[in-house]
Amino acid sequence: MTGSQDGTRLARVMGKGWLTPVLAVLTVGSLAILAVLGLWVAPPDALQGDAQRLMYVHVPVVMVAYLAFGVTTLASVLYLWKRTRHPQWDRLAAASAEIGVLTTALTLALGSLWGRPVWGVWWTWDARLVTTAVLLFLYLGYLALRRTISDPDVRARRSAFAALIAFVDVPIVHYSVEWWRSLHQESTLLPDGRLDPQIEGDMLIALLWGIGALLITYAYLLVQRYRLAALEEGFEGRALEAAIAERRAEADPEPATVGAS
Amino acid sequence: MENAGYVITGWVLTGVALLGYAAEVARRTRRARRLIDD
Repeated sequence: MTGSQDGTRLARVMGKGWLTPVLAVLTVGSLAILAVLGLWVAPPDALQGDAQRLMYVHVPVVMVAYLAFGVTTLASVLYLWKRTRHPQWDRLAAASAEIGVLTTALTLALGSLWGRPVWGVWWTWDARLVTTAVLLFLYLGYLALRRTISDPDVRARRSAFAALIAFVDVPIVHYSVEWWRSLHQESTLLPDGRLDPQIEGDMLIALLWGIGALLITYAYLLVQRYRLAALEEGFEGRALEAAIAERRAEADPEPATVGAS
Repeated sequence: MENAGYVITGWVLTGVALLGYAAEVARRTRRARRLIDD
C-alpha cells in the first residue's frame, strides 16, 4: 500500500505529485542563498572571527533535530491513542526520527569543528555536548529497535513507547546550558527562554534564513522518506506473504515426494 | 578568512550529508518501486 493509495489526509498530502519538485527547488535555492549570506554577506564576529560562520548551519541543523524528534513524538502519541491509531503515524515517526538522527550527528560534527578553533578542543565533557551525544544514541537505539521486530503492529507500538522515552532528553539538551555550568554559549535567539536575539543586522538575517532553509530541507526529506516507508511496507507485506506460502509448501510436501522417501 | 579550514569543512560536510541522505532515500525508493513492480 503506497501513501497515495491508503487514502488518509496525511497520505494524500504526502502523495501530491507537485510536492517533490517544488520542495526540491526551494531546498536547493534557499541553501544556496544561505551559503552566500553565511559565508560572504554576514560580517565576521568581533570575538570569534570567521569561525562563528559555522553558527549559520549549526543552529538551524539542531533546530531541525528538535523538530524532527518532536514530530516523531507527536506521531507516536497519535499511534498509541486508539482513536487515531493508523500505520501512517508509525511511518511518519520513523521517517522523522531518521532525519533527526542525521541532523543530530551533523550538529555534533559542526559543534566539534566550531569548538576546535574557539575552545581549543574537538570535544569536552560539557553538559550540552554530552546530553546531545546521549540524544543521538537514544534515537539510534530507536532505529535499531525498529529493525529487530518484524511484526508491523508490535514494532509500531514498542517503537512509539521508545520514542516517548527518548524525547525526554530533548528539553534536557536545550536547557542544559542553563541548568549546569557550561562551556557552550546560551541560546542566541532565545536567551533565558525570551525572544531576544543576541545578534543583529546581516548576522540575524543569515541565521533566520538558515533556519527557514533547513526547515524547507526537512520538509523535502520528510516527504521523500515517508513515501519510501509506505513503499517498503507494501513490499514487506508481499515478501511476508511469499515467505508464508514457501513455508506452507515445505510443511505440506507433494504425496509423490513422501512416497519416494 | 581565519580558520577557513574549519568553516569550509563544516559547510561542505552539511551539504554532503544532506545531499547524500537525499540521494540514498531516492536510491532506496527506486529499488522498492522496482521490487514491487517485479
